[in-house]
Amino acid sequence: MAICTVYTTQLNPTCSSISKPSKSHLGFHQRQVVLYKRNSTNTYRPRSSGFSRPSYSIITCAADQTVVIGLAADSGCGKSTFMRRLTSVFGGAAEPPRGGNPDSNTLISDTTTVICLDDYHSLDRTGRKEKGVTALDPRANNFDLMYEQVKTIKEGVAVEKPIYNHVTGLLDPPELIKPPKILVIEGLHPMYDERVRDLLDFSIYLDISNEVKFAWKIQRDMAERGHSLESIKASIEARKPDFDAYIDPQKQYADAVIEVLPTQLIPDDNEGKVLRVKLIMKEGVQYFSPVYLFDEGSTISWIPCGRKLTCSYPGIKFTYGPDSYYGHEVSVLEMDGQFDRLDELIYVESHLSNISTKFYGEVTQQMLKHSDFPGSNNGTGLFQTIIGLKIRDLYEQIVASRSQTPVEAKA
Amino acid sequence: MATTMAGVSLSAPRIVAKSGAESPKVPHAYIRTVQPWNYNKRLSQYGRLMVVRPVMAAPDKLSDKVAESVKNAEEACSDNPASGECVAAWDEVEELSAAASHARDKKKSTDSLEEYCKDNPEADECRTYED
Repeated sequence: MAICTVYTTQLNPTCSSISKPSKSHLGFHQRQVVLYKRNSTNTYRPRSSGFSRPSYSIITCAADQTVVIGLAADSGCGKSTFMRRLTSVFGGAAEPPRGGNPDSNTLISDTTTVICLDDYHSLDRTGRKEKGVTALDPRANNFDLMYEQVKTIKEGVAVEKPIYNHVTGLLDPPELIKPPKILVIEGLHPMYDERVRDLLDFSIYLDISNEVKFAWKIQRDMAERGHSLESIKASIEARKPDFDAYIDPQKQYADAVIEVLPTQLIPDDNEGKVLRVKLIMKEGVQYFSPVYLFDEGSTISWIPCGRKLTCSYPGIKFTYGPDSYYGHEVSVLEMDGQFDRLDELIYVESHLSNISTKFYGEVTQQMLKHSDFPGSNNGTGLFQTIIGLKIRDLYEQIVASRSQTPVEAKA
Repeated sequence: MATTMAGVSLSAPRIVAKSGAESPKVPHAYIRTVQPWNYNKRLSQYGRLMVVRPVMAAPDKLSDKVAESVKNAEEACSDNPASGECVAAWDEVEELSAAASHARDKKKSTDSLEEYCKDNPEADECRTYED
């Protein structure tokens, strides 16, 4: 919890402000601001590169601050599907900004704004081609601007964010992003830059194994004219060195990792249709308590299919237990196999604990609602939905804690 | 809008100068986020694009681009498969393939009433009647 010195006696209902920049004539400032001083060690880390910041900064009324979530994954690894599940859990449909650029990458719902970090490309398609760098390369991305804008939104101030047009490969005119309740930054590098990483209240990494990535891209691209098995393979292999150097290492910073692997239920299966999915959850993350199966902290292996529940081939197998991940203590929940019938899903949901549902069967309801999304019958859909519920819970806890903090906010 | 116009006219000479190898370094004024005093300057970064309002490309046009990018990548890699040129070309294939796939998904879910009713099945507009 960031403990701040707040030079006011009361934070709510209206934050009394000490300093109010006179920018309001442009309509940027929507909220009042207060001055505060950081004194907690984990909220302020000066960078070695000499990037200096004043020892105090201006924040908005703490109760209105935006919660920032980071989602990292390679292209074609299910970020969009995850985003659709996530925004659905938060309520309301997420849509592109109305009346804006039709190629905008942003999604907006009542509570949530999802921005795509490709918008922070510093090199457009031609620029990358000339320099011989991929979009995965940090040199093709403007982390200074990314940091400045995410920080500004988090402080409650709107920004003019560039738009990277994936069709033309050019940077389009910017769009105005107003501070939402929840901001999701999704893309290749949400946890790459330390400054951006420190702004995240929660982070997720989608880790797709090579076998599954290949299978998914075949599914996605085979029908596309010009593509062949060779071209799909060549593209994955050409991008792999940059992927390994710049994208993959981010998973060590994630609060939750969804790992997607081939099944072990069918011997020598490489079809990539049946999946084994792991949900790796970091212990000790504030406002996030990992999901567990039967008994928290124990090691469990569970095959729900048997006398009480009959499953279709190849069945379902769960494992749960404590583990270590990049030196962090984690809990791992794994699901191998897929749901073929509704009662299988309900049965599984009723045996999981700490899933932060608001009513019995909420996970099942969400999965059914989006049964047309990829992965709705396996661990990817299940764990994405659960992470959505956990983030909703995290958001509610943060908001609740803010409304109680004024007394705590002492030097 | 006056600001827009200013942005366009200001930017015109810059583009000519800037075309060619584009530096990864973004001008300083642009890095700062909210700087109303630099509003015109920031807009001018995009000036050239203000003229042509982007329109969503038809999916079939994207398909052409995907096919073309694969051909280009195969060519770029024939000399030196480890070159930056080759890697960047395959990266472009991935980017366009992903864009084509998103465009297909978007096209699939264009029935806004159906979408709305999925989220709000109780709404009046979403009622279904049987006799």
